[in-house]
Amino acid sequence: MTIHINGKAYSLGEAEYISVNNALILHFTEPQKTTFAVALNGDFVGKADYDSTVVKSGDSLDVLQPIQGG
Amino acid sequence: MSLTIYGQQLTSRLLIGSALYPSPQVMKQAILASGSQVVTLSLKRQNPTEQSGQQIWQYLQEIVSQNNGHLLPNTAGCKTAQEAVTLAKMSREIFQTDWLKLEVIGDDYNLQPDPIELLSATEQLLNDGFKVLPYCTDDLVLCQRLYDLGCEVIMPWASPIGTGKGLMNPYNLETIRLRLPEATLIVDAGIGKPSDACLAMEMGYDGVLLNSAVALADNPVLMAKAFAQALQAGEQGYVAGVMQQRQTAHPSTPTLDTPFWHQN
Repeated sequence: MTIHINGKAYSLGEAEYISVNNALILHFTEPQKTTFAVALNGDFVGKADYDSTVVKSGDSLDVLQPIQGG
Repeated sequence: MSLTIYGQQLTSRLLIGSALYPSPQVMKQAILASGSQVVTLSLKRQNPTEQSGQQIWQYLQEIVSQNNGHLLPNTAGCKTAQEAVTLAKMSREIFQTDWLKLEVIGDDYNLQPDPIELLSATEQLLNDGFKVLPYCTDDLVLCQRLYDLGCEVIMPWASPIGTGKGLMNPYNLETIRLRLPEATLIVDAGIGKPSDACLAMEMGYDGVLLNSAVALADNPVLMAKAFAQALQAGEQGYVAGVMQQRQTAHPSTPTLDTPFWHQN
């Protein structure tokens, strides 16, 4: 299956799904040391739901971090 | 004289952005010099191998810690109510605040807010417990609708974001102030000079939110101080009561016993 994280494609072989937590390891080497929030296909996913939320082929994760703003 | 945002009293009437400064160090110095207790910031995708976002986040945490301030996350870049609601929820989780500068942009050329999507997002977010500070155009009816939905704070623009054109339509801003006397009104976006901010405060606005005018100044720290003084001057001028304009000249110096007087 293929998923997208911040627009970048990740191929995950024959797997049918993975958790948000496992998807984050593809993006970060050490997610626990970074400040971020997650949306799956445009909907917010709270930290408490990272283990139970499933990411399937074709899904798109947005992983956002603080930045300067006006 | 303090500014109240959703029941929270602040000593400064200036709200300031954290973007576009020459360096993080100058950003920190300028924000602290401004005296502002409300600092805007945002959320974006970032390259996970870079740590710049994490560093900025640490700087901003230090700033609000030093000035007993508040973070005000924005929804910059959102074009639909759905996008703005999602980003708001992500911001609330990270920044641990229900304050939100709500931006829903309707046009890429002048970054003008989309009033339809803005109202929709505002209603959803207020129902979800957010304290919404909507960035909007200087349209009286739109501001009235936002107020009726439950926004205690409304933020009409002075002119498009980043233009520095100042108060494009003073009549509209004055009318909003007149018609919404109970709302906390903050002019947001388009401020270029300290005198622009002073003018908004002389109209009776409760505060000013700006970023580029300080960040893009030759000396951002000095400009931050200038804006702080301009807001104070404008507020005091408003409270003191501005004299009525008159059509004809009136001598300031008493005319009684004028020397060399020749009666015609």
